[in-house]
Amino acid sequence: MSLVNDTQRKTFAGIADVLIPEAEGMPSASQAEVHGAILDRVVELRPDLREAFFRGLNKAAGQDPQTATEALNADDTEALGAIGLLASAAYYMQPQVRALIGYPGQENRPVDADSEPEYVANGMLQVVIDRGPIYRPTPKDA
Amino acid sequence: MAKQATPRRGEEVDVLIVGAGPSGAVAAKELSGAGLSVVCLEQGYNPDPSDFPGKDPAFELLSQKNWHPNPNVRDMPRDYPVNTDESDINPLMFAGVGGSTTLYAGHWTPFLPSDFQVRSMDGVAEDWPFTYEDLLPYLEEVEQAVGVSGLPGNPAYPPQRGYPTPPLPIGKAGMKAAEGMDKLGWHWWPGTNAIPSLAWNGLNPCVRTGTCMTGCPEGAKSTANITYWPQAMRQGARLVTGARVREIEVDDRGLATGAVYIDDHGRERRQKAKVVIVCANGIGTPRLLLLSKSKRFPDGLANSSGLVGKRLMMHPFSAVMGVYEDPLDSWIGPFGQLIESFEFYETDEKRGFLRGAKWGAMPGGGPLGATSFVGSQIFKGDEPAVEDLWCENLHEMVERRFGHSLVWGIIGEDLPEEDNRVELDPEVTDTDGIAAPKLIYKVSQNSHDMLRFHVARLLEAVEAAGAIETNIVHQVPDTGWHLIGTCTMGDDPKRSVVNQWGQAHDVPNLYLMDASTFPTSGGVNPTATIMTVALRQARHLVAERRNQEAA
Repeated sequence: MSLVNDTQRKTFAGIADVLIPEAEGMPSASQAEVHGAILDRVVELRPDLREAFFRGLNKAAGQDPQTATEALNADDTEALGAIGLLASAAYYMQPQVRALIGYPGQENRPVDADSEPEYVANGMLQVVIDRGPIYRPTPKDA
Repeated sequence: MAKQATPRRGEEVDVLIVGAGPSGAVAAKELSGAGLSVVCLEQGYNPDPSDFPGKDPAFELLSQKNWHPNPNVRDMPRDYPVNTDESDINPLMFAGVGGSTTLYAGHWTPFLPSDFQVRSMDGVAEDWPFTYEDLLPYLEEVEQAVGVSGLPGNPAYPPQRGYPTPPLPIGKAGMKAAEGMDKLGWHWWPGTNAIPSLAWNGLNPCVRTGTCMTGCPEGAKSTANITYWPQAMRQGARLVTGARVREIEVDDRGLATGAVYIDDHGRERRQKAKVVIVCANGIGTPRLLLLSKSKRFPDGLANSSGLVGKRLMMHPFSAVMGVYEDPLDSWIGPFGQLIESFEFYETDEKRGFLRGAKWGAMPGGGPLGATSFVGSQIFKGDEPAVEDLWCENLHEMVERRFGHSLVWGIIGEDLPEEDNRVELDPEVTDTDGIAAPKLIYKVSQNSHDMLRFHVARLLEAVEAAGAIETNIVHQVPDTGWHLIGTCTMGDDPKRSVVNQWGQAHDVPNLYLMDASTFPTSGGVNPTATIMTVALRQARHLVAERRNQEAA
């Protein structure tokens, strides 16, 4: 059973769209469906945010999203912070958003440990070596 | 080496170790390997790599809470709270087998020669009772067990044996960072990390997932639960997890007899031992000694000098973000150090402060990393308006920064001051009702001036590489990774808590083998030196075992 009721979900979508609008070639939060199943996941993952999150949504219920966002920003920044963090986390977890920003996620890229590093091949590091040691000699009788 | 029979619960053992982090693990392996019976009590559990958020799409969200390095933020049952109301910096740590290395970045930066002789060379603080050269053979041995990756020949260090595995790729972000240093003619070197590039000593090779600081799901970051504990346990050491030590007990002669602990069912138990070693970090170790008051030791155990808990050093930290036009793919790991620099490490009095700092360049991270670093929102500016971080600006900022940024971190030497200290909090307790530590810590003027200087130099470096945007954050609160100096070592019992072997001046069968004993902090990440000093001390304990006084 979802922790988020329909009214809260609708209110969240409205505020999320104020924070993350359609612009710069990117979809809005609701176009990326941050108020769908992924909202349940992020709320589940961060129980510490729930009190402020739901407090903010309940205060904003039924209001114009822009007005509600401004009111929370003035009176309850903790609540707006919780809503914003969950909205942005959900947004950048969505595959279509990741594709648009060129983010494949944290994935494995096996290392070829035997390959010659570029900084060796192009001589950059040799310049550092040629300048010689930079550590301070220490007193030998200490 | 013949296997020692694993001690049964409650049975008196040769050695009790408190804390299963890097130094406790080194001691356990060394002592059990010498045939001593060993029990280790660890308040946390053995981390399960399948718990690490790693490749979960929610990894960044989880890094800001469940896997945050600040125990007060994480607030898990095995964490103890730390009162930081009077501290400029929050201590970071992790309770579990492997200790705080579970969440560290694996920067492998041994202390430099001058770090051990700051009084002789710079007239400040104290020299250590031993030198870099004394430690070097132990360091080289530890590096083999740890599986360090790196390129030998770094001119910031004296010559030494090579590393067991080749350096990790520094990626586009590392190359961009190096470009700036190259243009300015400043020292840089490909990062040396406790992250192997080849399979090594139970570790898998790094696959650059880039989530090192929330635990490595690939088992490719060197932590003692992988590299030390399996052998220690094969040699007979017994590791008891979920065991929170409340007190070290002493007999009428003032010798340690063992410890009282609370097991994970809330039952009070007692572990007797001939020798007790505490490896609970620079906050946990003095906390335990201060908790261990008795008629004979009314001010806390081993505290006749009054220095237990004092001289806390935590490496105030600043960071500089550089954002570049070129794509740097800067969510790709390792999230250790891509490159490092010691250009301004040594003292130059003309700069107006003493000692110096090491720089380490790291990738920028995922999209939430556009304003954050290591789980904290540090790159959002001061008191931003909603539209500064959201609306069209969010899209514009992520497009500009994500995949195009790198972060230089500055680890500056924190000099010891007795007013910076750990005490017992009169009210706050952990979940077992044991008094929590309270920190009183102010960033010194020397550290403040040092960080300002280094930030200014790093701005030059990132701009020399063509940065289109720079962001500075000074003295980040959530950066107390390095907990150092609160039970300092020295030759004079009036001015130190332990001798160079970690042996308490007041209690000859009590040893401290973690960074709490370091007289100074260096300007580098300390894990390499913590493990190296512990190996030297443990080996001495074995060599002197027949002369060891015991209860």
